[in-house]
Amino acid sequence: MLSDQELTRYDRQIMIPGIGKEGQEKLKSAKVFVAGAGGLGSPVSIYLAAAGVGSLRIVDHDRVELSNLNRQVLHWEEDLQKEKVLSAQDKLRKLNRHVDVETMNKTITEENIQDLLKGCHAIVDAMDNLPTRYILNKAALDKGIPFFHGAVRAFEGRMMTVAPGDSACLRCLYHGPVAQEKFPVIGVTPAVVGCIQATEVIKYLVGIGELLLNRLLIYDGLSMKFTEFKVKKNPKCDHCGEKRERIIS
Amino acid sequence: MSAKVHLHLTLRQHTNSQEVVEAEGATVGECLKDIIKRFPGLESALFDKRGKLNNIVEIYLNLQSAYPDELAKRVKDGDEIHVTLMLAGG
Repeated sequence: MLSDQELTRYDRQIMIPGIGKEGQEKLKSAKVFVAGAGGLGSPVSIYLAAAGVGSLRIVDHDRVELSNLNRQVLHWEEDLQKEKVLSAQDKLRKLNRHVDVETMNKTITEENIQDLLKGCHAIVDAMDNLPTRYILNKAALDKGIPFFHGAVRAFEGRMMTVAPGDSACLRCLYHGPVAQEKFPVIGVTPAVVGCIQATEVIKYLVGIGELLLNRLLIYDGLSMKFTEFKVKKNPKCDHCGEKRERIIS
Repeated sequence: MSAKVHLHLTLRQHTNSQEVVEAEGATVGECLKDIIKRFPGLESALFDKRGKLNNIVEIYLNLQSAYPDELAKRVKDGDEIHVTLMLAGG
C-alpha cells in the first residue's frame, strides 16, 4: 500500500500509462540484486531507488579509491577508503528513505551466489569482469529470475536482458576465456548503459514495454549511435542449452 | 560475392581509420581473409596463432549473431558484416 507521501513522490511516473498505482505497488514490493557498486551500479541503483523499487541488495567487495570518482557517482571524495556498499547505502538512503538498501561487502562466487540471491526478484549485472558475470548469468537461469546485463569500455557499452527459458543468455555468446584488463572508461558511458539497465528492470517489474530479449544493444558514444544485433539461444550453450557442452573457462 | 565489413573502433587502427571496408568472399571467413590481405595488421587482432577467431571477437551478419561457426556462414552480395569486440568493464 502506498502512503500519501509516496503517492505524491511518484506522482509523475504514476501518471504514465501502464504504470499507475498498480505498477508503483509492484515496484515497491520488488527486491533487486545489484551486483557491483561501481560505474554501472551507481546509476542503476540511483535510478531504481528514485523510482521507488522497494528493496535493493547491493553486493561489492571493494573500497572507494580516488580513481573511481570519474564514473562511480555514488561515491564522493569524503568516501575514500570506505566500503563501497556502505558509501552507496548512505547516498541511497538520503535519496529515498522509503527504499530498503541491504548491503553485503562480499566477493560473489559460485559457492555463495545462491545465498546472496535469496528473496531477490531480478539480478542487475554491474560487474567489472566476465567470470563473475557468468556466475550471475548461471544463477539467474537456475533461479528462474531475469538478468540485466551491461558492460562498458571507453565510450562504448552494451546491454542485453535475459529471461530464463525465453531468450538467449549471456553465455550463449561465449567464445572462451578473455584476459582481464584495466579498462579505460569515461563516466558518461556507464551512466548511459546503467540507465538503460535500470529502465529494463523497471519495465520488467511493472510488466510493460518490450525487453531487450534476444537483442544485444551496442552504444557507441563517439559516433553517438545505437546498434541492435539479434542474438539467439545457442543449443550447445553450457548454461541454458538443450545439448549443453562443457566449456573450460 | 561482395560484402561490407564494419569494423570496431579499435580495429580501425589497422585500416587507416576506415570503419567500413568492402570485401570479396563466399563466406564470412573468406571476407575476413580478403580484408586481411589489404590490411595485414588485422590478422593478429582477429585470429589467434592457430587461425581461430580470438575469443574477444564477435561477428554479426546482417545484424544477426553469426555465432557459432561464424567463419563458415555464407555471404550474399550486399551483405553487411559487423566485427565487434566483447566488453567486460563496469
